[in-house]
Amino acid sequence: MKKMRWLAMLLAIVMVAAACGSDDDTGTADGGTDESTDEGTDEGTDEGTDEGTDEGTDEGTDEGTDEVDVAQGGDLTFHMITHSDDGPFWTVVQNGAEAAAEAMGVNLVWLASNNMPDVQAQLIDQAISEGSDGIASSLPSPDQLIPGLKAAADGGIPVYTLNSGVNDYESIGATTHVGQTEFIAGQGAGKRFNDLGATSILCGRQEESNVALEERCDGLADTFEGDVLSEFMGLDQDAAAQEANINATLAANPDIDGFMGAGPVIGLSGLRASEALGRDLTIAAFDITPEIIDAIDAGTIQFTVDQQQYLQGYLPIVLMFLEATNKNTAGGGLPILTGPGFVDSNNVSAVASLVEQSTR
Amino acid sequence: MTDVVTADAAEAESATGDDERLSFQGVFQKLFIRPEIGAVLGATAIWTFFWAVSIPFGTAGGASNILDVSATLGIMAVAVAMLMIGGEFDLSSGAATGALGIVTLLLVRDVTGTAGGLGLHLLIALPLSFIVALALGWLNGTMVERTGLPSFIVTLATFFVLRGMKLGFAKLIVDQIQVGKMDDLKGENKGYEFFQKVFAYEWQRNDHQWALRDALYTGLVIVGLSLVVIAVYELHFKRKAQHNPIGMIMFVAGAALGVASVAILHLTDDTAGNWFGAIVGLAAMLIGFLGLGVWRYEMRGDRGTLKMPSDAVRSVGIGIVLIVLGVISAIVLDSDSNEQVLPLTTEQGLRAILFVGLSALGFVSLMVGVHQAGRVSRMSASAFTVGTAVIGLLMAFFVQSESESEKFRNEAFSIILVVSALALTWAIANYFFQNRGSSDIHIEHLGTRIAIAGLLIFLIGMLIRLLFTVDAEIEAGIAPAKYSVRILWFVAFTIACSWVLASTKFGSWVFAVGGNKQASRQVGVPAARTKTQLFMLVSVAAWLVGTLLAFRINTLQANTGNGLEFEYIIAAVVGGTMLTGGYGSTIGASIGAVIMAMSVLGIPNSNWNSDWRFVFLGAILLLAVIGNNFIKTKAENLR
Repeated sequence: MKKMRWLAMLLAIVMVAAACGSDDDTGTADGGTDESTDEGTDEGTDEGTDEGTDEGTDEGTDEGTDEVDVAQGGDLTFHMITHSDDGPFWTVVQNGAEAAAEAMGVNLVWLASNNMPDVQAQLIDQAISEGSDGIASSLPSPDQLIPGLKAAADGGIPVYTLNSGVNDYESIGATTHVGQTEFIAGQGAGKRFNDLGATSILCGRQEESNVALEERCDGLADTFEGDVLSEFMGLDQDAAAQEANINATLAANPDIDGFMGAGPVIGLSGLRASEALGRDLTIAAFDITPEIIDAIDAGTIQFTVDQQQYLQGYLPIVLMFLEATNKNTAGGGLPILTGPGFVDSNNVSAVASLVEQSTR
Repeated sequence: MTDVVTADAAEAESATGDDERLSFQGVFQKLFIRPEIGAVLGATAIWTFFWAVSIPFGTAGGASNILDVSATLGIMAVAVAMLMIGGEFDLSSGAATGALGIVTLLLVRDVTGTAGGLGLHLLIALPLSFIVALALGWLNGTMVERTGLPSFIVTLATFFVLRGMKLGFAKLIVDQIQVGKMDDLKGENKGYEFFQKVFAYEWQRNDHQWALRDALYTGLVIVGLSLVVIAVYELHFKRKAQHNPIGMIMFVAGAALGVASVAILHLTDDTAGNWFGAIVGLAAMLIGFLGLGVWRYEMRGDRGTLKMPSDAVRSVGIGIVLIVLGVISAIVLDSDSNEQVLPLTTEQGLRAILFVGLSALGFVSLMVGVHQAGRVSRMSASAFTVGTAVIGLLMAFFVQSESESEKFRNEAFSIILVVSALALTWAIANYFFQNRGSSDIHIEHLGTRIAIAGLLIFLIGMLIRLLFTVDAEIEAGIAPAKYSVRILWFVAFTIACSWVLASTKFGSWVFAVGGNKQASRQVGVPAARTKTQLFMLVSVAAWLVGTLLAFRINTLQANTGNGLEFEYIIAAVVGGTMLTGGYGSTIGASIGAVIMAMSVLGIPNSNWNSDWRFVFLGAILLLAVIGNNFIKTKAENLR
């Protein structure tokens, strides 16, 4: 039942978003005038005198002809502030946010802190002082980031959390959270393993104290009907040792017939270990990389859990737009889940081409 | 035992004056001043421990897994040990492995398609990345030498630069945080097929059956070990002028009895057969080795009287109590129970740990007692040794009768039996024959050569056991094991570095600049150049490891190798290399890498909770350093 409600809500949001997109024809026109101003200034620097007049006429027509449009589009500036390291994962989030901003006709400021909480806290303060119309932020380190986001929400700026922050979005006064909860993702994987007929799974983690990874394995253990052994199997930095670790664990547990890697690299290490031991395992991983796609295509890895992070970039922009223009507050106090989505042999070829475009 | 081989290197490195160099050192004393002796003992102890508590650890599959992890870690540890002996650190060595692998991958990747790369032939790409490696090492070395800053800081900076460059260039060129894939070159006529064999060939054990394996393996191992023991006798006892033919006949008879004993043990697997075979074997050893003594060595004149010093009696008492406690715990605890008793282990695991641990400690205490008795008189030492050996023999039969598992009943039983019997004959031989008191170059050369031959034969025997399988094992459904050519690279690199360190001018310079740079410069050692070359050696090792990894996992993450530099340093330190420079061993570092691999893999092999693995690693590191230090001071006091 709960699931259905989420689905319905997601559908509604997407439909509204689509509607806004089509409604935005005037918005694109507005974008067009913006472009012409840009061109104008470009030319202006060359010609010198034209600059002032060009800008003046553009602004004049904007204000004069369609006031509503200005309020909806060009004047809204949203900040998306994340701990992004500019890796492939966050590139997809950024692409989602940019696509949404273009569709809504709003300005997007993308700020990445590269996993540095202090920097991210500064960026939040910066967004507030710039008079942001909406802040969407990831919340990887609550202690450093909550004060800033709370101040933003208290100051009347719509705040959304994305990717991480599902436990804290309410306390800071954010409208909702857009992301995947690791536990539910693990639960989804557990059900898949049940369907695939596994009886005993090793859930390998690539970091020794990362709550998110533990939750993935805990979720797996929650829905999986057989035994789950959740162990730290060595860092991604040393993939060869990781493989040897998995090999050693599998050798010590002859009854294990499934392997879940809590990340893409460790998933592939598990695949190599099972091949070295000559064991026929049901293997799954988290997240999408080209190698994982290849392995699913080849049938050596059965599926991977995809948190569909494109939605984590796209949806907050749509939600902030609706809150700013229509005073909608989606979520009903609950988080909006973007995953788990699954990539398996049925949809791998379709997803592969989307991965190339960096939208999956 | 490897240490006998290169014992003269230790002499050269630690001698400061002519007097000391000429003074006589017994075979054991020479052994114990080697820097890697602690690592050898530690590796044996950890192997025995995990062999006892886990099922897959002692199998061929377990061994291949350990060697595989050791290989890449070991190549780096050996190079880093050389650099540390030379008095410097390289914190960029870990990041460099990934960086140089990524360089190679970027050079060979094809430009066609969405992602970038130069699409070069491997024959061009590998030398190019090798040159990059040399340049990186040269840069590190030159910066350290020119600035005069500690290498710790300079290479920390290089580490960060490399770490950033890996990520930056990977994303700039291929727009991903990983660079792949080496096996995309398959069929592209860029030398992949050839270099894949060079860097990643794998020997599948289950595809290689050899019916003669067990006979060959047993024979070679026994012959090898006997030769090593003969070498020890030769090095320890004083030769007599006139050989005694009766002794030679006894020796040959002992050898024949030995063959008979192996045959009996091989053909029977019941208690009575084992008993009989063991007794024949014991007789073979006594007759053979005492025959060797009668044949070649001088009789001892003064044997002293039997005294019981109180400290020795106390040590023996503690030893016996510990062993009895171990035996009691083995009898009381249930060997079939898988019930969890402590957070780490099950009841049967606890039983194995208590039994092996307590009896090992007990025997250590007994040996301390023997040592203490040896200070009083030869007679007392022999008496105490005989006592210890007898307790060992009893333990062997206890293990054989009490154990449920095959490996304890056969392998542990045989090993304890053989070691106890050797100790017994050693005690008796020491009672009768006179030991050497002066150095003699001919005796030492002969002894060393016999020892090397024995070790090689022993290793070939073990290799046959590891590389080949037999029908019976396949039928029993043994897990496949594969040995990668990486292990061969590791061994070759270790041998090459050890040879350079022990037998070349450059090797002496390394010790000199690490011991005292200023002084070495004053006697004409090109200190700056030597250090720069050492940095280049480390980055060449990183290039090798990076290449091995690229061929092994095909796709390298941008963070590959980051942070592993500390594992290399730890392996070198566990292997007896000092952090202060001027002292250390490459063989020790390679064994240190094996210790690290065993500690990391023994935990999942024993089904322990992996949350505790760093506790275990920390304990091993601490024990290794304390042990090395203890042995070193003891051995130096003996001089």
